[in-house]
Amino acid sequence: MARFRSELGILVSFVLTTSVIINAFSHKKQFYPSIVYLTKSNSSMAIIYLQAFVLTLLIGKLMNRIFFGELRAIELEHLFERSWYAITETCLAFTVFRDDFSPKFVTMFTLLLFLKCFHWLTEDRVEYMERSPNITVMFHARILGLMILLSVLDLNFVNVAYQHTVAKGASVQLVFGFEYAILFINMLSTMTKYLLHTVDLQNENPWENKGIYILHSELVLGFIRVFLYLTFMSIMIKIHTFPLFAIRPMYLALRSFKKSLNDVVQSRRAIRNLNIMYPDVTPEQLRNYSDTICIICREEMANPNEGPQQIKKLPCDHIFHKNCLRSWFQRQQTCPTCRTSILRFNNQPAQPAQANFAQAHQAPAQQQAEPPQPPNINAQPNPNVPFMPDFPTPFAPLGMFNAPMPPFAFMPPPLPPLNLASLSTEELDTMEGQERHNVEARIHCLRNISVLLNSSMVQMQQYMNMCAATSHLENLTGKKSRVENDLNLVNSQEESLSQVKQEMSEEKNVFENLAGSSDQTAASTSKQSENDEIRRRRLEKLES
Amino acid sequence: MALKRINKELQDLERDPPANCSAGPVSDDLFQWQATIMGPPDSPYQGGVFFLTIHFPTDYPFKPPKIAFTTRIYHPNINSNGSICLDILRSQWSPALTISKVLLSICSLLCDPNPDDPLVPEIARIYKTDKNLYNKNAKEWTSKYAMA
Repeated sequence: MARFRSELGILVSFVLTTSVIINAFSHKKQFYPSIVYLTKSNSSMAIIYLQAFVLTLLIGKLMNRIFFGELRAIELEHLFERSWYAITETCLAFTVFRDDFSPKFVTMFTLLLFLKCFHWLTEDRVEYMERSPNITVMFHARILGLMILLSVLDLNFVNVAYQHTVAKGASVQLVFGFEYAILFINMLSTMTKYLLHTVDLQNENPWENKGIYILHSELVLGFIRVFLYLTFMSIMIKIHTFPLFAIRPMYLALRSFKKSLNDVVQSRRAIRNLNIMYPDVTPEQLRNYSDTICIICREEMANPNEGPQQIKKLPCDHIFHKNCLRSWFQRQQTCPTCRTSILRFNNQPAQPAQANFAQAHQAPAQQQAEPPQPPNINAQPNPNVPFMPDFPTPFAPLGMFNAPMPPFAFMPPPLPPLNLASLSTEELDTMEGQERHNVEARIHCLRNISVLLNSSMVQMQQYMNMCAATSHLENLTGKKSRVENDLNLVNSQEESLSQVKQEMSEEKNVFENLAGSSDQTAASTSKQSENDEIRRRRLEKLES
Repeated sequence: MALKRINKELQDLERDPPANCSAGPVSDDLFQWQATIMGPPDSPYQGGVFFLTIHFPTDYPFKPPKIAFTTRIYHPNINSNGSICLDILRSQWSPALTISKVLLSICSLLCDPNPDDPLVPEIARIYKTDKNLYNKNAKEWTSKYAMA
């Protein structure tokens, strides 16, 4: 019925146009006067405009047949929705440029709208590629042809507008040039997606980094778009008036840029967390889980036949394949099972400490060589934990016990020279005095640390009590795990503290021995060389 | 990965089919499925058989499948194109969900429409103000479109 009606409309329009033209010729007999007659008569012009509109629609239909074939329902829906917005914005633009209003102007806007429609359809088609894995050669040929045609047209119109503006100064061409530039950027983004999808379709295996590439290309193109809109806005405000018609697309561009920036940042953060913070699950630990199917790919994780795939545990205690999680984190940063946001754990200093703690258990030697970045508690205060107000700053990085140069309030003691045999008795005596001073300073420091640890233990206790009293059931589990993590941190600190204490007592012993031996030196000069030997060895020990 | 997982879901569906629903590939192409939902009892859709199409994206399960009704249905959250307004098919998608779970969710949406987030505001208004008229219309549509 609708088809019949549109065909009837087209036919009526053609009949009207021919009758108007024949009428003009029969009156004036000659070409030029009849053209003048046609353009002077409003009713004939209206019919000719209608005819032009019908012709545009027909050309559109033809191009549609060539490049798209049958349109899908969703594509049509998008097309109508976007066309309405575009038409309203065009009407707004007319109000701004009412001085330039002329048939030429209307024609150019119609052409712009016409090309915009094809840009939208291409975008939808390329998106459809993702859903339908059976892409024919015909599809590629059509899409490629259309994309090249549209981008050439866009560039051409940008160029025309540029030449016009340079030659005749700012006019409505500025708007067209800018609109086509935006369309060209959109076309670039569609092309990038098309290329990525095509490469992805060529591969048997899923392309893990595709998501990352898409995110980054969106970010770059979004930035260019925002930049273009801002430039356009400022130019328009300067030479004309505030461009009302550009507000909605500009807002959309800003929003999508913000979103893509957010996506890139969050997915990077989530993947970094995945790589560094979340512990691997060993086959032994895997036995403790009743359900060992990775819920993302539905494969058995405990399957020994499968290659050694890394398994990661999230803070919410759910386990997945590492690769599956990475692909998911490129899109969303939540636990697939319980939807807990994994970035929420990020601001808590206890979490990395726990991971470091786990690493320390696996490779203590490595940790001694390369001390992990301590969780800087002062820099990232957890809002839930009340900290001591008079926290002395020099002791802030509590995690750094095994560091070769502790960031204490005083300079580390100078190391004794290597060749001890060459030193005289007096020099050795002064060195002993220095060592004594250093050991005393270290013991003083250790006392300070132990006071701090005790106070933080008290605070932790208070915090746990507070949690138990106030928080309701849902929050409780999360906070508990955080508190546990904090406790783990404290435990690890205590452990390293006791280690350091032990070292200190050893050092002290050595020092006392040294002191004793120096007394002996005064008593018996005959054993001088022997004592020197002992001192040298002990100092070497100290040095080590 | 997508194909592997879709195959697994197909096996699971055959082994343990959900109540009132069925689903399977249309042809050799495992990415295009068709599903049927029986109108749940105690709802105005009772007795109707509703057909749906399911399109899997190539990066399934990281992106939600596209599901649409092909049978017309009178429902505040399903429009005349068959598009379904359901959060788990959009922003709330999770790879932990499966087609069988999604179909069950759609079943429960049929029983309990969500008029506060409507896709067809007119039906939502009727649902909120005149439940009897809504039931009558839904029954009419069901017998008109969803019964052979």
